[in-house]
Amino acid sequence: MGEERATVDPKLLEILVCPLTKEPLRYDAERQELISDKAKLAFPIRDGIPIMLPDEARPLEEGEAR
Amino acid sequence: MTQRAAQPDGAAVFDRAAVRAHRDRAAAGFAGRGDFLVREVGERLVGRLDDVKRRFDRVLDLGCHSGQLGPMLRRQTAPDLLIEADLSPAMVACATSPARLVADEEWLPIRADSLDLVVSALSLHWVNDLPGALVQIRQALRPDGLLLAAMLGGETLFELREAFLQAEAGQEGGARPHVSPFPDVQTLGALLQRTGFALPVVDSDRITVTYESAEALMHDLRAMGEANAASGRARHFARRATFRAAADRYRETFGGADGRIPATFQVLYLTGWRPHESQQQPARRGSGTLGLTQVLSPRER
Repeated sequence: MGEERATVDPKLLEILVCPLTKEPLRYDAERQELISDKAKLAFPIRDGIPIMLPDEARPLEEGEAR
Repeated sequence: MTQRAAQPDGAAVFDRAAVRAHRDRAAAGFAGRGDFLVREVGERLVGRLDDVKRRFDRVLDLGCHSGQLGPMLRRQTAPDLLIEADLSPAMVACATSPARLVADEEWLPIRADSLDLVVSALSLHWVNDLPGALVQIRQALRPDGLLLAAMLGGETLFELREAFLQAEAGQEGGARPHVSPFPDVQTLGALLQRTGFALPVVDSDRITVTYESAEALMHDLRAMGEANAASGRARHFARRATFRAAADRYRETFGGADGRIPATFQVLYLTGWRPHESQQQPARRGSGTLGLTQVLSPRER
């Protein structure tokens, strides 16, 4: 790890959806988050591992959803 | 989360936070110390693919623990994509597939029609909404995709259950559940059918492990991350006197001549397919050529 950031497997990214709405997710590479606009939640990616638990997601700020 | 309102806390059978905490705590030493049952069941589960003549390119190991099934699945089907998922981040961190995620079986984050095979070894018995989880798995499978799951059944740890019942009957104001409630074959068969799986099959298998003592068994259950997480469990450890009484009852009732005690794990194997037209189908209604009376009373023809 160190400087090199672990990335999410692209084939996995392709089939991940929001666990609540089952809608596609937006990948924010900068913040390492998977964003569900409809559920207004951002799911964190830690060390290349998406944490797809509704309880651990960050609620989106006002105006952050697209 | 308000989304959980459909299942109010008071009604949940299992404390999912406890399930996760037990797994998180067991993760570091799981390989080697706590994984014998998962490896054994995993071999039996994956071995069932020997009889299936098709390739499985996209595979999900749901409730992967620290990655016990990964090498077995790679050897068996050489999938294009193997996803390892578990409720416990600490377990997932120990798994080795490039495609890993932390996920709750009750909130499956997988796109519809995207998997060829979902395998799950010894995780679904901790799910509160099993019908909901099965429906989500079926949706995530492609048509003709396969679910192959193993979960603990109702006869699991019956010796421990009975020993505590006997010991607590006269103490602490009555018995508390020390062992989780588990489903049985009939219930699961009906459930697979009801949740839309084709050609559903459920069968049962018993694995008996012997221990030096009840303490050694309890220690092992914690190492396996399988300590009781039923919502109605006693929140504190049993009183020393109660535990000793239960340990004594256990040995008296079930102990062998060699002084060791047996612990039974009933494993229920679930098989079901996402429906597809290539599968064997029941005959169309009204397509029969024999009258019912002919079938029921052949001698009166």
